[in-house]
Amino acid sequence: MARDEKIQGNKIAAGLTRRQLTELNACARCGECQAWCPVYAQDRRESITARGKLHSLRRLVEGSLPEAEREDFIKSLYECSACGQCHVVCPVRINTHDLWEQARMSLVNAGIPQPEGQIKQLSAIKEFNNPFGKPQAERSRWARSAWEAGLLKSPLRLWHERQTPVVYFAGCMASFEPSLQPVAVQTARLLQEAGVDFSILGEDEPCCMSKLRRMGDGAFSDEARKRADQFTRMGIDTVIVSCAGCFKGFHSDYARLWPGAQKVVHLSQYLDQLILEGRLRFRRETPLLVTYHDPCHLGRHNQVYDQPRRVLRSVPGIDLVEMPRHRAFSSCCGMGGGLKAVSPEIQHKMAAARIREAEATGAEAIVTPCQTCYQGLLNGTKEAASGMKVYHLNELLVRSICPEVAHDAVEAALASPGA
Amino acid sequence: MTLSLLYMAFAFFRKWQGWSRGFSEPVSEERDFRRAVKIWLAEVLLHRQLYALSFSRWLIHILIFYGFIGLAVLPGVAFVLRSSGYLAISDTFPRFYIHPQGYVMMKVWGDSFGLMLLLGLVLAGIRRIVQREAKQSSNQMDALLLALLLSVALSGFALEGLRCSLVPAEIARYSYVARLFTPREAHALVQLQPWLTACWTVHFLLVATLLGYLPHSKLMHSLLAPVIIAVNAAEEHTREDLYWPEMKKYRATRSPRD
Repeated sequence: MARDEKIQGNKIAAGLTRRQLTELNACARCGECQAWCPVYAQDRRESITARGKLHSLRRLVEGSLPEAEREDFIKSLYECSACGQCHVVCPVRINTHDLWEQARMSLVNAGIPQPEGQIKQLSAIKEFNNPFGKPQAERSRWARSAWEAGLLKSPLRLWHERQTPVVYFAGCMASFEPSLQPVAVQTARLLQEAGVDFSILGEDEPCCMSKLRRMGDGAFSDEARKRADQFTRMGIDTVIVSCAGCFKGFHSDYARLWPGAQKVVHLSQYLDQLILEGRLRFRRETPLLVTYHDPCHLGRHNQVYDQPRRVLRSVPGIDLVEMPRHRAFSSCCGMGGGLKAVSPEIQHKMAAARIREAEATGAEAIVTPCQTCYQGLLNGTKEAASGMKVYHLNELLVRSICPEVAHDAVEAALASPGA
Repeated sequence: MTLSLLYMAFAFFRKWQGWSRGFSEPVSEERDFRRAVKIWLAEVLLHRQLYALSFSRWLIHILIFYGFIGLAVLPGVAFVLRSSGYLAISDTFPRFYIHPQGYVMMKVWGDSFGLMLLLGLVLAGIRRIVQREAKQSSNQMDALLLALLLSVALSGFALEGLRCSLVPAEIARYSYVARLFTPREAHALVQLQPWLTACWTVHFLLVATLLGYLPHSKLMHSLLAPVIIAVNAAEEHTREDLYWPEMKKYRATRSPRD
């Protein structure tokens, strides 16, 4: 038995980098990660914390983790949104979120699969090119429907019809999820308002596959390389993404595979640039006191903190008040790392905690520039039975620039039988 | 001592073997060493991260860190100076630091480093007991390590205190902490010999235990953290996730536990 554990430990160790294996021994056990961990705040088990996971993983690779603790460790490894808060506060700077993702992949290679919920989602992504299991032909239906409903100034061009220097990459969530399709429509409309010459990829738009990396699926590298090659062949100058998860995928995870990863910008960065250049004109004042939620993949993982705040402040009538935990200390809403697929109730509680934090600021609404966080925070308002409004960053801009594409109007138009 | 050092070397070798089972990552070709050095100095020598999160923890750690380093370095310094004296490379430093006129300097520094270590350990122990959250997350081995370090520091002072009673008062007074451990009545060397032997043996065994236990304890972070920080710092300009530009805002954010 002990020999089997050693063999498995060796297999798991072979899937981690030497630096990561060293990091397992570098933990000072100070517990700072515990004090900040948003998952631990909802499920107070030591094994959830970075310290607990490091301790268990070290013993697992050494072949000395007791059988009784094994299940708990595996559960905890996946019950983590890989938000990176522990990395930020760790005095040793252990690169925890990378470690968790690599450990997940390594465990799978050693014969320990992901939890059922994640396997289902991963299978759908690999088979259908999106986590919803919908046909690729439906990917750009939102664009056609929006044009037909009169929500766009002109029909959106497909890249293969007209090769523009700028491409808008809507991502799976905004392409397929009806409650998030307004984000895609609003983005396209704002780009049109600013006179940006752009196109969308339509059926050629692939899933970024970043969820594969988050959940430790070994196919990620090959799939990412395919997409990187696709973008390289296309010779695109700028890719605008409106999903923080896709942004993290392209900008950070692809960085070693694709020199063009730096050409990928998040919508909030692009809007900031357009506003600075005076290409987006605000027409109406929208008086509102808001607080801003930093998406982990945009903020902590990619240091995009200032641009979305500048965009918010530029909207006439908007006042911004910060939550105690903001920027690098922003508390995760629980939508990342595949956590929601294994433990939706914890995601709901995490988001509810964030909503309560937002309420305490006195703000009327919480704003985020990530469609996934937006959805996660909406779960939080239900869990917390809160009347706090949740807005995507786009919503506040369109209310001032082109109110006809406000969220509810777009959702209703796209849901109508003709759409 | 040789045995415990050999065991420690063996344990490190085993650890190294364990780490070598992993694969090596491609090393980033872009490196900004000036920035890396700046970050490393701030993070390791000044504990910037800890200071930003919690002043009390920073104070405790800096006391233990420099106390420990000082006590580890001081015998080495004495050894080098003594050797240079024997080898007649230079006479100035050994004369000043090893012989009576400078000897007291070694004692002052030794006691100061010991006091820092002791103070840090006592504060860490108090924090562990008083602060419920920290206690909840600590395990028995962490408490054992604290006790071991405390025993090393106390037995070191006790040994030095006994030795002080054998040297002239004008020299002994420089061992300003160890003097507190000196017996009040004057004793001859013969009378103190059994106590000196016992104290030396206990101190020696505790140090040997500490060295042997180090590779298996959380003290490993004292050796590995500077390495991990150095590796991360060398890549910081490409990753930007050590929050160098975030420092001003960062300092405003204290640990929820602090």
